[in-house]
Amino acid sequence: MKEMSQIKRINTLWVILLLLTLFSAYMAERATPGLSSIVIMAIVLAIKGRIIVDYFMELKEAHTILRTLMQLYFYVIPALIILVYLFPEQIVKWTTL
Amino acid sequence: MTEIALASPSLSTRSRKIPGNMAIWAAILAEMSEFAIMFIVYFIAKVHNPEIFDEGPTRLSTLAGTSNTLIMLSSSFFVVRAVIAMRKNKPRTCMRWLWAAVACGILYLIIKYFEYQWNDSQGLSTETNIFYAVYYYVTFNHFLHVGWGSGAIVWVIYRLNTHIYTQQEHEGLINIALYWHMIDLAWITIFPLLYVIR
Repeated sequence: MKEMSQIKRINTLWVILLLLTLFSAYMAERATPGLSSIVIMAIVLAIKGRIIVDYFMELKEAHTILRTLMQLYFYVIPALIILVYLFPEQIVKWTTL
Repeated sequence: MTEIALASPSLSTRSRKIPGNMAIWAAILAEMSEFAIMFIVYFIAKVHNPEIFDEGPTRLSTLAGTSNTLIMLSSSFFVVRAVIAMRKNKPRTCMRWLWAAVACGILYLIIKYFEYQWNDSQGLSTETNIFYAVYYYVTFNHFLHVGWGSGAIVWVIYRLNTHIYTQQEHEGLINIALYWHMIDLAWITIFPLLYVIR
């Protein structure tokens, strides 16, 4: 029973990942560029990353440091996507030699 | 997944599990850091060249990028199913899932090859502008990972054929599964950055 439910969960997560990707493709082609589409893209990336880290890599129940490091990646990159959109001039100032 | 425990009494049982072994995690964390550096380069180049980075993705094939994302996610799913099959002591089923993952890897490489050809016919190259320089550097790096990752899965299939793995002991399979998921994670990050955000 436990194995069956695990397979069912993995199958469902796979379908969710595919649907999120198709949604991203739709956004790429149709959405008007702007803060709201950037935030949506960042959230979609965060969700996809978290599903793979937690369930495909099975880190949800794993060693705290390892789990945190991998989960953190999918907070930091989406956050950078939003920050780069919101504060480009500031980042230019910080990264100009 | 196969688990080893760190000998730290302060950690609870739940938090001590490590899928695979420490060596593969050293490799995964190193590779994730390498890709993180590329993403930081992308962000810095983007803020310094906003027009070029806004226009860049519009000249790439969204279809190729999307197809490869669907393929990478599916290959990761097949690898998970292979691991589940091995735990149920079904090595033949495990092997079939792994072949499906390898097929995805090969399909990814073929699509990428035609995408590069298509770019070439549009007059795009590493020297077109900084967006395409970043695009080629990051995606070709990832292309190589998919290539050798697929090869590693074929190696695991060979090991399965020689009955080296058992229901209880199949750490080699787990390690390659984890490494393949890392390659998938890198791609799902590359996809929005280079193909979607504009």
